[in-house]
Amino acid sequence: MLSQIKVFPFITVAFFSVSFLAGEDTTIDFAREVLPILSNKCFACHGPDTKKKDLVRLDLEELAKKDLGGYHAIDPNDLIESELLFRIADEDDPMPPEDFGKSLSAKEKKLITDWVKSGAQYAQHWSFVAPSKGRVEPTGNPVDHFIARGLKRAGSRFAEEPDRATLARRASLILNGLPPEPEELDEFLSDDEPGAYEHFLARLFAKVDYGEHVSRYWLDAVRYGDTHGLHLDNRRGIYPYRDWVVRALNANQPIDEFIRFQLAGDLMPNPSEDQKIATGYVRLNPTSGEGGAIRQELQAKNNFDRVETTGTALLGLSLTCSRCHTHKYDPITHQEYFEFLAFFNNTAEESMDRNKYVYGDHLTVAKDPVSKKKWNDFLKKETEFLKEVKDSGKYNGKDDSLSSLTDLLNADLGKPGNQVRGSSTNYPRNQKPEMAIDDRPGTKYLNRDGNGSGLTIITRLGLVAGLSLTSAEDAPGRDPKTYRLEGSTNGKSFTLISEGEVPNFTKRRQKKEILFDNNSSYQHYRLTFPKLVDVYSKEMQIAEVELLKKDVIAKDDLLARAQVLNAERINSEKNYLTTTLIARELPQQSRRETKILERGEYTKPIGKALDPGVFSILGKMKEGSPSNRLGLANWITSDEQPLTSRVLVNRFWLMVFGEGLVRTPEEFGLQGEHPTHPELLDWLAVDFRENGWNLKRLLTQLLSSRTFRQSSARRLDFPDPENRNWGRGPSFRLDAEVVRDLSLWSSGLLNRKIGGEGFKPYQPSGMWIALSHPNSDTKNYKMDTDDSIYRRSLYMYWKRTSPHPMMSLFDAPSRESSCVQRSRTSTSLQSLALLNETQRLEASRKLAERLIRHAVEDTARIHYLFELLTSRKPKSIEIDALSELLQNSKTRYSKNPSDALKLMGQGLSAVDQKLPTEEVAAWTQVAATMLASDPALLLY
Amino acid sequence: MNPSDILFDHSLSVTRRKFFGRSALGLGTAAMAGLLGSDLLGKKSFDGMHHQAKAKRVIYLFMSGGPSHIDMWDYKPKLNDEFGKDLPPEVRDGQRITGMTSGQKSLPLAPSKYKFTKQENNDRGVWVSSLLPHTTKVAKELCVVHGTFTEAINHDPAITYIQTGSQIPGRPSLGAWLSYGLGSMNEDLPNYVVMHARSNHPQQSLFNRLWGTGFMPSDHQGVLFRAAENPVLYLKNPAGVSRSDRRSQLDALSVLNQNHYQDFADPEVLSRIKQHEMAYRMQSSIPELMDHSEEPDEVFDLYGEDAKTAGTFAASCLNARRMAQRGVRNIQIFHRGWDSHGNLPSQHGSQCKDIDQACYALITDLKRLGMLDDTLVVWGGEFGRTNYCQGKLTRENYGRDHHPRAFTTWMAGGGVKPGITYGQSDQYGYNLTDRDGNVIKPNMDHWTKDTMHVHDLNATILHLLGIDHRKLTYRYQGRDFRLTDIHGHVVKDIIA
Repeated sequence: MLSQIKVFPFITVAFFSVSFLAGEDTTIDFAREVLPILSNKCFACHGPDTKKKDLVRLDLEELAKKDLGGYHAIDPNDLIESELLFRIADEDDPMPPEDFGKSLSAKEKKLITDWVKSGAQYAQHWSFVAPSKGRVEPTGNPVDHFIARGLKRAGSRFAEEPDRATLARRASLILNGLPPEPEELDEFLSDDEPGAYEHFLARLFAKVDYGEHVSRYWLDAVRYGDTHGLHLDNRRGIYPYRDWVVRALNANQPIDEFIRFQLAGDLMPNPSEDQKIATGYVRLNPTSGEGGAIRQELQAKNNFDRVETTGTALLGLSLTCSRCHTHKYDPITHQEYFEFLAFFNNTAEESMDRNKYVYGDHLTVAKDPVSKKKWNDFLKKETEFLKEVKDSGKYNGKDDSLSSLTDLLNADLGKPGNQVRGSSTNYPRNQKPEMAIDDRPGTKYLNRDGNGSGLTIITRLGLVAGLSLTSAEDAPGRDPKTYRLEGSTNGKSFTLISEGEVPNFTKRRQKKEILFDNNSSYQHYRLTFPKLVDVYSKEMQIAEVELLKKDVIAKDDLLARAQVLNAERINSEKNYLTTTLIARELPQQSRRETKILERGEYTKPIGKALDPGVFSILGKMKEGSPSNRLGLANWITSDEQPLTSRVLVNRFWLMVFGEGLVRTPEEFGLQGEHPTHPELLDWLAVDFRENGWNLKRLLTQLLSSRTFRQSSARRLDFPDPENRNWGRGPSFRLDAEVVRDLSLWSSGLLNRKIGGEGFKPYQPSGMWIALSHPNSDTKNYKMDTDDSIYRRSLYMYWKRTSPHPMMSLFDAPSRESSCVQRSRTSTSLQSLALLNETQRLEASRKLAERLIRHAVEDTARIHYLFELLTSRKPKSIEIDALSELLQNSKTRYSKNPSDALKLMGQGLSAVDQKLPTEEVAAWTQVAATMLASDPALLLY
Repeated sequence: MNPSDILFDHSLSVTRRKFFGRSALGLGTAAMAGLLGSDLLGKKSFDGMHHQAKAKRVIYLFMSGGPSHIDMWDYKPKLNDEFGKDLPPEVRDGQRITGMTSGQKSLPLAPSKYKFTKQENNDRGVWVSSLLPHTTKVAKELCVVHGTFTEAINHDPAITYIQTGSQIPGRPSLGAWLSYGLGSMNEDLPNYVVMHARSNHPQQSLFNRLWGTGFMPSDHQGVLFRAAENPVLYLKNPAGVSRSDRRSQLDALSVLNQNHYQDFADPEVLSRIKQHEMAYRMQSSIPELMDHSEEPDEVFDLYGEDAKTAGTFAASCLNARRMAQRGVRNIQIFHRGWDSHGNLPSQHGSQCKDIDQACYALITDLKRLGMLDDTLVVWGGEFGRTNYCQGKLTRENYGRDHHPRAFTTWMAGGGVKPGITYGQSDQYGYNLTDRDGNVIKPNMDHWTKDTMHVHDLNATILHLLGIDHRKLTYRYQGRDFRLTDIHGHVVKDIIA
């Protein structure tokens, strides 16, 4: 009986009474209180993946309340007789069984019991129900409405506001990943107008820094890297995707569209360059070209990775479970996993990357904005020139491109690879006339048979003004005595170009050139040798023949200019253009079949081929929606789909407040945490969607809230260690990139170049070679030696199997897999890196120079140091501590000037020779210390 | 108590709660100590998380590339008789082989050219090849596991599998799990150390993920000790900065940070103050550790001349012993170059020369110091090598492809039965068999006696260190992840 019940979708049988607020009354909130217990402790056996047909199902109300032959797991008519209650209370044979490893606490038993006794009403898991907007007060920031209500209920209220400078630093670090510039800060602090703070925020949003900073979170989630990630871990070309993300965020592209571009830009009508670049998302999974690898295995693994990353990054769902079997906790079936996978199984690239920079579909694009401008300038010049050529009417049919014009001059005529025909079939094997153009010195016979035999070279249209002949290995008598060269455009009627004597060869394998005048270009050249050196010889032999192009620069101005411009084109292509991996869908006739893989093993496809599909618990795709990535993209960003906007809003909240409303931002399923403020999350999710997925608007809402504008000091009056009530402002150690950028910024070294290939700063030697395969093209770390080493960390070259240690040490993920929340650790290795790493010492020195130049008094310099890094004035205790360090250091370096010079020798940047050495060295110590201190490294 | 102390106390309990929040079943005092610094609990070491630990520490000698069981440990005289004959289809039984040999016309059987001799141990004896003249001498200490197997047949997935429990990147490494579970036993050295030993054939890649933390906090990652000017990244003060200069810096830093703590009472600030001090101690403890000049001559006689050259496997083993003495719990040495698809005799010859005496020395040394009992030494690679030849086969020269279905690892000390062999392969060195020679097709879901899946190996290692591999979990994406996924069986047969 049980087996006949259709298991999914369970949304249809679930009873809806989602009352999120369990505050004052004692009603048990099933979804928030009971369901997590059932999921965590019961569903592994009594949930969606229940194997045995006769096992009780607790995940579905209908099944839980089913008559099981005289008894019910939950008896709707006699609740206290429910078998569930007996079993969880049974001490001899408890549920869950002891060997399961998870038992119910007394509190949990009571909750379940109370819930059953109070009617055992089921409700859907909160995140699978579409969010709706609760009512908020018409005035004030809606965020505060919810948070203040919670605080009030907890017997508290907002913390005091931080001082404005601290607030400005906080906002700037969150939106730009850098503190405010001193002038900006001054302007803000002296702006007494209402709306000054909003005005300040608007300035932060307008800076390029905004996109550069905010994009990092996205790049972590989609695991962006500059190498393949597996085995050789070679270079791969996809950084234009990274730069597109920055551009899109700076342009405030609606986030739903931002997502659709990435999932399916290539499937949109007449996709733009950006739409194609964005599909790099589909190509970001780590790939391998390992010698022994099996294509089908990698196809499966690549797809798993895409599915599971999409699950984590966009749906907040762990899908990995359902790769092997129906999900243990969430109502997602094994089949649905593979239906979802089918969306990704038909991109055109091969599953193995052959260790190539470019593999599969790619797009040629400008390297960076500066290159793009230069390239466009060139194109403009080229267009104008081609028009001029056309107008001249001199090269009809050849005037549509520089290359067809320069072909007239530059064709690589008579080179290996050109088509060559012998005019006789009477020649020894392996020494055919066709081989006369192969760059090998071996002898070739061009048999004379009285018909002027020789060879015909078919090449690109071009002007020939010479011949190069190389004598054969032996038999000088068989050398040619005369030549005859004819040209033809159609290969049928030939016109004489030149004929005459062949210069005497004085050695074997000797090259001789014959030059002549010619103004006509042809495509077919027939070369014959009417006379031989030994007139009695029957066979003529030669090692190598080459047609020499004509240099006509002096003769025709247009062609000469074409030649120059074409050289510029070739250089420009090299300097300004690069490639980026993109997605392309296979055409209908060559699509791959997707089947369920038993236990996720690629060798075990089972059942019939599946059509792409979405998880039924999350609703359906729209009627008529295309059954491909575009349909998927539309579904993921649709109003009805309950997860995406919640998941994203939560991540942006996390970015701003340091923790999410949902503390498990990677997991919104049954095993995830309940939001601290469900109504707020839902309100924001709906509001975000309703307002065009406008990220800058959302962030403005968050940053201008009173909730954000609280002191971040821990409160004695309201201890809330995890800040679940949001009764204090955010505080956390800044991310690896910000820690680095901050030091460069304060020193004045920061290079603001936007976009382009990842740069390679100082790195301890030998780190890559120690790990790398001998054939890897990333085995040698070659540091850049120009000012690109001072670029923002976003642009740092990301080798996935060995990211830069200054990133890894400070919790940056490897980008081998999706990461939506970084850990924040404190380690002794970080301490060593903060105080000893070359770039930080260099930045400390440049910061020291800046301080010294800024003011004469030591105290004024310390003030400036604090202003830069903390946006506040130093306290006397801080001034004293740094002054003491300064004096000690001055004494020390005055006595040991050579040590001062050594310290200042860190890094490539020039030392300001005008400043006294021991002074700079002493201040370098002070700056390095300040840069390593928590007042500088933390957001607060 | 001043207010910030109260807050600190409070924050500790929070950290604890947060910590438990991530671990489904909670951890014992050990993990807490690792988190908070063992001094807070007034204990220096622990008896194990879930049960009495047999081993306090582990030294894992990882042979990257796949050492040939057939040429080193798994004696197969039958192959001599079958020289050059095709691998019988019934032996292969349709099992997949890599893309490197699947296109070969034949799979000719390649007997080892090395002479094997039977060594006495505490059981039925163990055959060892002439490639390992030194290791042979400690046969009575070794538990040689012939029954190891894996599913992965290529390097990247296989090495990722054995080190992280998953073929796809993203999971914490074995070492990270140990760090997370057991915490540290010392106050001035890292808890989990990784070394890369030099090889003449550095084929095949290593990846940070092999000692990385995946979704776990990154402070559990292995700390790389390198044969470089700075054994640990950024260890040394820059030129021109003396130790007392650094002390002045740290004193000032401490004032700044404590002042910040006074203002914000953020417990993380206190944790960072501690870490700065530990870093300062490491700046003297690590050079002391890496300085072998105090070691007497007989130590170098034992480990061999190589041990005098930094970065060799022998020097790394000596480092490992010195670390073990100083309370480093978890030490891993990666030795590359075992991927001998061709010219196996010359490559493996060189590889074995790198490791043989040092393996012997390490075990002898630990035993001499009375440390072998509570130090688990593990030796092995990500898979074995095929019994058939890749490329041209002669009696004297051949190559071997990857072989996952049977390979040899060994363990010593740390509560493992000394001087035994465990499991066996068939006469071809291809499939695993039971003691009677019946072929077993083992499956990671159901452990079969005489076999040791890579998950079983990891489960057993954890067990010896006092950890129940089913209970050491970390919650990520709503799932209580384990090193052994949903698999793994503690092979009690090899435990003393």
